Amino acid sequence: MKTEPRKKALRYFFEKVVGPMGFKFTPNVELKDFLLEQEVMLEAKHGIPFCPCQPIRHDRSRDMQIVCPCIPFHRKHFDAIKRCWCGLFVHKDVINPDSLPQLPPKDVGLG
Amino acid sequence: MGKKFICAISTDEVAPGGMKTVELEGREIVICNCGGTYYAIQRRCGHMNAPLEMGTLDGKYVTCGMHCAQFHVTTGQALSGPVPVDLGNETVPPKVAAMLQNVAVQMQHVRMESIRTYETKVEAGWVHVAT
Repeated sequence: MKTEPRKKALRYFFEKVVGPMGFKFTPNVELKDFLLEQEVMLEAKHGIPFCPCQPIRHDRSRDMQIVCPCIPFHRKHFDAIKRCWCGLFVHKDVINPDSLPQLPPKDVGLG
Repeated sequence: MGKKFICAISTDEVAPGGMKTVELEGREIVICNCGGTYYAIQRRCGHMNAPLEMGTLDGKYVTCGMHCAQFHVTTGQALSGPVPVDLGNETVPPKVAAMLQNVAVQMQHVRMESIRTYETKVEAGWVHVAT
């Protein structure tokens, strides 16, 4: 399977999901393309487009929480850092995604 | 020789986002209404032959209802393979477990193929398909 058409399909499906949650794709086009490419490769391997920046533990209940877009499972954390963990999605008001550090939950008071 | 278009269905037979199966000259074809534009694809999934009209159509993407393989309706290109099934903590009788294992082994060798698409045109409220 070619990656480009699948990337396009994922963009279409993800946009519909993250939009109502107040998120959008990162304006960093290069990063967006790179992360989607990784997801397509993960999907080809595992059958599921996992987040490319989180480990697959082979524990289904935990792994399901890192299926992109994983925003609903980490809502408080991602709302606090205004981006998702890998940075594929950012809050709709974000113009400069490079200004958003990748802070773990404990650094934003979430334990 | 020009293409032979066959009148398949009237445009109001399929609502936007809907699919309908027709049989034209022995071919099983699904007509997809993508927001008022009609596309025709082969009925059988490129993964395991399941009927695609029993899946879902979202934009120009059709998802098979059996294993969630996805295809693009304009090109027929296979976009993603089957989604793995997990029974979680469900306990399965040994005979069923053995059967499922056998199925899983064979499924690994199932090849995902793109599906065939057919040219369409709309004339006087009817969708015509080139077979």
